[in-house]
Amino acid sequence: MNWGVMSAYVQYLLSGIVIGSIYAMVALGFYVMWSAVRAVNFAHGDTLMLGAVIAVALSWAGIPLVFGIPLAIGCAVIFGMFIERFAVRPLNHGSSSIGWMLSTIAIGLMLESFVTVTFGSDPRSLPSPLMDTPINILGAGIFLHELLIPIAAIGLLIALDGFYKRTMIGRAMRAVAQNPIAAGLMGIDVQRMALISFGVAGALGAFTGILAAPIIQVSASMGVLLGLKGFLVAIIAGMSNARGIVITGFAYGIFERFVEGFGNTSMREVLGFGVMILLLLIFPKGIFAPQEIKKV
Amino acid sequence: MKFFSHQRLFLITASVIALCLIIAPLVVQNNFQLRVVMLFMIYALVAMGLNILVGLVSLVSLGQAGIYALGAYTVGVLTVKYSWPLFATMGTAIVLSVIVGVVLAYPTVRVRGVYLAVVTIAFGLIVQNVVIDWRTVTGGTLGISNIPRADLGFGPLDTTGLYALIAGIMFVAFLLHHNLIYSRYGRAMHAVAQSETAASSLGINPANQRVFAFVISAVYAGIAGALYAYLNRYVNPDTFSFSDSIRFLLMVILGGSGTTLGPLIGAGILTWIPNLLQAFGKWQLFVYGALLAAVIFLLPKGIIGTLNSWLRALMSRSRNQQQSAEPWPKASDQIAGFLRSQDQNREPIMVTSELTIKFGGLTALSNVSLQVERASVHAIIGPNGAGKTTMLNALSGFYKPTSGVVYLNQQDISSLTSDQVARIGLTRTFQNTELFSEMSVKENIVVAFNSRYKTGILGTLLRLPGYFREENKIDIQTVQLLDYVGLKDFADELAKNLAFGHQRRLEIARALGLSPQILLLDEPAAGLTHAEIDELIALIRDLKSLGVTIILVEHHVDMIMAVSDHVTVLDYGEVIASGTPAQVRDDPRVIEAYFGAVVPTEFSMESK
Repeated sequence: MNWGVMSAYVQYLLSGIVIGSIYAMVALGFYVMWSAVRAVNFAHGDTLMLGAVIAVALSWAGIPLVFGIPLAIGCAVIFGMFIERFAVRPLNHGSSSIGWMLSTIAIGLMLESFVTVTFGSDPRSLPSPLMDTPINILGAGIFLHELLIPIAAIGLLIALDGFYKRTMIGRAMRAVAQNPIAAGLMGIDVQRMALISFGVAGALGAFTGILAAPIIQVSASMGVLLGLKGFLVAIIAGMSNARGIVITGFAYGIFERFVEGFGNTSMREVLGFGVMILLLLIFPKGIFAPQEIKKV
Repeated sequence: MKFFSHQRLFLITASVIALCLIIAPLVVQNNFQLRVVMLFMIYALVAMGLNILVGLVSLVSLGQAGIYALGAYTVGVLTVKYSWPLFATMGTAIVLSVIVGVVLAYPTVRVRGVYLAVVTIAFGLIVQNVVIDWRTVTGGTLGISNIPRADLGFGPLDTTGLYALIAGIMFVAFLLHHNLIYSRYGRAMHAVAQSETAASSLGINPANQRVFAFVISAVYAGIAGALYAYLNRYVNPDTFSFSDSIRFLLMVILGGSGTTLGPLIGAGILTWIPNLLQAFGKWQLFVYGALLAAVIFLLPKGIIGTLNSWLRALMSRSRNQQQSAEPWPKASDQIAGFLRSQDQNREPIMVTSELTIKFGGLTALSNVSLQVERASVHAIIGPNGAGKTTMLNALSGFYKPTSGVVYLNQQDISSLTSDQVARIGLTRTFQNTELFSEMSVKENIVVAFNSRYKTGILGTLLRLPGYFREENKIDIQTVQLLDYVGLKDFADELAKNLAFGHQRRLEIARALGLSPQILLLDEPAAGLTHAEIDELIALIRDLKSLGVTIILVEHHVDMIMAVSDHVTVLDYGEVIASGTPAQVRDDPRVIEAYFGAVVPTEFSMESK
């Protein structure tokens, strides 16, 4: 193997880990929502978009990112809570109901359209001071900012783990996830936990969107595919296992970049989605989910 | 005959639609408007197919645009590159759609709900990307242009000719769509959506129903896509995006899923609305999202669905106010003739040998061997967690034995599924009554007749004479069964509206619709009053006298003593006693299992 091929492979691997970390972080948002209410904001991808767009718009308006980023995340938290209260809660009746899926898709459509009209349809990017000079790793170039993203994904994983295991509110959320009725009887405010979960997912989403903004173009439609792939990553890993979700996200990102490297973007989507469907058929409960016994 | 019978209403509706289709080309001002009408009919085709999926089996596909694209590109490629004639291209489109339908249905074996929706979205995106990337065949983002006019063999059709073709196909598809919904096939699909377990206990294979529904929805979408290619004469990837899939789904929900007319209304509104939306300029997509949200929140049953439920409420108000349940069972010669077991076999009807069932490390049943005599009442009792319900599930095909064999009429049924077991004469009721709650009382029973129909799919869809004869016969038998359990007055009521005790009766009547050789009753007396239990005892005795074998899981000791011929006692998954009620009652092991230790006889079970 010659040096050029080698460095191309390293490049695929590195940029695969970067994009995979973004999928993983989106998937963690789905995981947080699903854990609380067995339903999600199907348009969670639009939360990423919302965060990134607000951050970009504020920075273009001359407001420093130090203020812009918290403001954007704050908006996303409110958006997430709004979705839970008005789009998910009224329509979430049991495992077979899909009303919440359609209502969140509808709100996502409205948000995308609203942003297209107000923000403009041309993609913009968020400048990052860490995007100036690439670092050379085995002949592959990568920006410092890109390296931040996998670190952020793993950091989030550890933070979530700590939150669910060590804080009172995190434990309460896990109890709600396992049995909302019993949790309610123990005095846990189930609806408040759901609201908080969606708020946390909103913050996660906006954070991810802002972090990704310097390397992907910011536009109204940036969240659609990211959201869908994040959801696929989450269900293939098995919704209930955060660590598995991050591993699956990385793996999917790397797989995508290699396919793209050898083929093109269309082939990336075709093979990527094809493999995802196949994996879901082989592991219907997810790769990292514990085996359950079927009962009548 | 009621004035507003369903059949009559439908004939009127169909005639009105036919009339509209004939008049439409005469009233529209120009070819452009006629093309809009044609587009509407093509959308209506997709929506009707999707309606079978969403409305009957309650599965959501957000990849319908992918199948639609498949049909369109099949025509595009085969006409432009290979100059195939219309019948060949349409035929190919249909065959490909059937294949895709089967492939898409496969995931439903494992996943439902939102997971399935995501699989269909991914499918749609795969199709779109293949179309973009496979440039040599599909023309990439530019698409395929210069698709020739449709030609039925008498030269290329002009706009009016194409209109007639599409209108004809749409109208036939509409009739078939209706005939499917209101047939045993539609009922079976609807039943599966509401309770898979109950449907399979009545001999319906849920997976088959879902595959069937997927195939129909795919064929409708494929034909629509093919017609679209002939209409537009140009196809490109933009027409088949995810948002088109959403629009197709919105058509179904807006019109009213599961209704005959809903998909037409939904398609109509969403074909004309883009013209209205022009006024909103760049806010179009926003209004579209708002419309979707409004439908989901304000009109979840859709337009026709909402009208239907008003009509239903109105009719139930005008119906006789006094609905009363009659005492049951009401034995009659007809019902006796229907239920009487004809076989002269004297061997035990059901035998298990060394039946063992393990869940992971837990042994739920261990080496259970028992014999059930024909036309007897065999009770299975035991403390909570003894394995009684596991036993019923194993006998009725819901669980596969880890080891050991179950025989029904000397046939090994251990490897059969619950629906196969049901079709050879064994059915059951459930501990938590499993009715098809959104269906009427009468329909609940008709579902049980599913495997007894002789009219095939063709006879049913085309409404051949045999179909009506058979429906009438089954209608009469259904009413007889309802009369037998004293629920005749409630025939048109929704099952979920019945009182608890009446739901139990209905579940038993439904099981009897299968005219089973063996009936498994899982705690039929739980929650019933004393008077109701006495009626249940009378029913069990009556069924026994007709030669029906009963296997009874029950806690109610008085009832077991009163009706059982044989009692098997389970504890921790093992048989600890077996014999006549009197023998079992005095068995010290049984008393120990129930009370923890041997106690003086005055505390034996009967005094409880």
